Amino acid sequence: MPLRVLNSRWAEYVGAVGGTALITAVLGPFQEQVNSTTVALTFLLLVLVVALFWGSRPALLASVLGMFCFNFFFLPPFYTLAIAHAENWIALVVFFTTALAVGQLSARAKQRAEEAESRKREVESLYAQLQAAFERETEAEAIKRSERLKSALLDAVTHDLRTPLTAIKASITTLIDEAHGQITENQPVELDAESRFDMLEVIDQESDRLNRFITDLIDLARIEAGELRLRRRWGAVDEIISTALTRAKSLTTNHHVKIATEKELPVVRVDANAVSEVVYTLVDNAAKYSPPASSIVIYAQRGPDGMVTMAVEDEGTGIDRDLRDRVFDKFFRATRNGDVAKHQPSGTGMGLAIAKGIVEAHEGKIWIEAGRNGKGTRIVFTLPIGDDDAANNGREVPGP
Amino acid sequence: MNERARILVVDDEPQLVRVLRTGLKSRGYDVRGASDGESGLETFSEWHPDLVITDLAMPNVDGLEFCRRLRAISQVPIIVLSAKGEEKIKVEALDIGADDFVTKPFGIDELLARVRASLRRANAPPISDATQVTLDAGDFQVNLESRQVKVRGKEVHLTPKEFDLLIYLIKHPGKVLTHQTLLAAIWGSNYVEQNEYLRVFVGNLRKKIEPDATPRYIVTEPWIGYRFDPGS
Repeated sequence: MPLRVLNSRWAEYVGAVGGTALITAVLGPFQEQVNSTTVALTFLLLVLVVALFWGSRPALLASVLGMFCFNFFFLPPFYTLAIAHAENWIALVVFFTTALAVGQLSARAKQRAEEAESRKREVESLYAQLQAAFERETEAEAIKRSERLKSALLDAVTHDLRTPLTAIKASITTLIDEAHGQITENQPVELDAESRFDMLEVIDQESDRLNRFITDLIDLARIEAGELRLRRRWGAVDEIISTALTRAKSLTTNHHVKIATEKELPVVRVDANAVSEVVYTLVDNAAKYSPPASSIVIYAQRGPDGMVTMAVEDEGTGIDRDLRDRVFDKFFRATRNGDVAKHQPSGTGMGLAIAKGIVEAHEGKIWIEAGRNGKGTRIVFTLPIGDDDAANNGREVPGP
Repeated sequence: MNERARILVVDDEPQLVRVLRTGLKSRGYDVRGASDGESGLETFSEWHPDLVITDLAMPNVDGLEFCRRLRAISQVPIIVLSAKGEEKIKVEALDIGADDFVTKPFGIDELLARVRASLRRANAPPISDATQVTLDAGDFQVNLESRQVKVRGKEVHLTPKEFDLLIYLIKHPGKVLTHQTLLAAIWGSNYVEQNEYLRVFVGNLRKKIEPDATPRYIVTEPWIGYRFDPGS
């Protein structure tokens, strides 16, 4: 409340009058002793203070009042407005002019300073608003982009889930019709034992495919969330390869599989199961994308910088140079040179993405080259041989 | 069936081709498969099937391009396989000239019903405007000269546009007709975006010919268009 009174218009003028009265009261009793310069400077000081705090008008009032008090109380003859000496006239005029100038100038300077301050605040607030708007915009853009990506992924996932489901549904309804002996428009169902078995086999294979797809989805989600924990143990590369090939046996019956490993390969400190999964995926792809009776070769040799280099090579149609990075993206599938007679279901589009995740978790690299003589595909990956100190049991994959 | 009808199945999913081949063969059809549009066209030109079933999403020559190229050389009935959510591409395929569609996943009965309907349509004698004065289809009898229409024996009065629309529908029984196809056929190619027109006219026509609120003759294919069933 007192502050409000102090800040109000009237308080400013009252302050100017009070200040003048105070100075007059304090210096009045000594009018004989103090010289006129001291008095003039004290009044000037008051004008300056009033101008700085309350602006030009109260300062003007203080100047006028100061002039009267200076004249009335401090310039002889005292208690009259008359002035005896010419020099005192000069002193009074100089005081009044100086007081006016000081008052107006300092008030204006203060006003300028305040204006500048408020302009600065305005600019700052505009800048903050602008920055917030920019942030909102980029955020919206990022959300939109991520929504687009999500919807593309959802399309890919639904397509991959629906495709096996379509084959299963068509097979099952064919079998149900036959079981009912349904005859529509003179069309009896004639399903021989072989066809019946064919339908059941499709259902079996497509159920496996659905299951594989779901397992891959979970693996990939784990890798992307940085939750893939490697269990590193010392092991032989040969064993990793042979484990993978045993698993892939049914996929490679139509191909010649050869192993070309260097003789004295060092043991490596890796997660043998995970690396074997990588080899399996590469062999599976090689079998899928190369003609029957062609060769698939698995290489392993010691590379530079304490690494082991492994590769799987096929004699298929190869992968275009500009697609070689993209095949590691999830759900990306290079165009199949489709063969309807082939009963092998196609992949989930996640195998290579998972393989890449596993290799990178081991701090290795994976890439694609053309095979020997520029034909076919050769997928190469490196793994550090590892040592006991560096290798903790659980090393996490960095998040995406 | 006197002679086994030949059906060409084009799909890049070998398992689906395998199932459809067995399912259709069990009903007495002669079936061949192809894994993409390119080989589908090759098989078509050497084998001359009576009907083609094709997937829309395929590598190399995709389903749409396949339909387009097939239509350029033949009027063979085409049934497209597509997934829910692919309405846009489905409509495009129908506009290009596909006759019908089945949404994945589907039961074999649904596909067989579409196959039978398409083959029946293809084998029916063509309706020729020049020679015929009357149209007789199911519950509908139409005199093209006097523009008189009878439904289930009762005469109904149609406006000229309603009459044109009904005649077009009667001439394409069982076939999925997209909004665009109908608008272009009745109002001309400048009106193909005016779905509202069509909705109003179909609504009015239904009020005059349908026996009750659930349409029996003019069946809506959501997001796609209409299918006309002349009834028994």
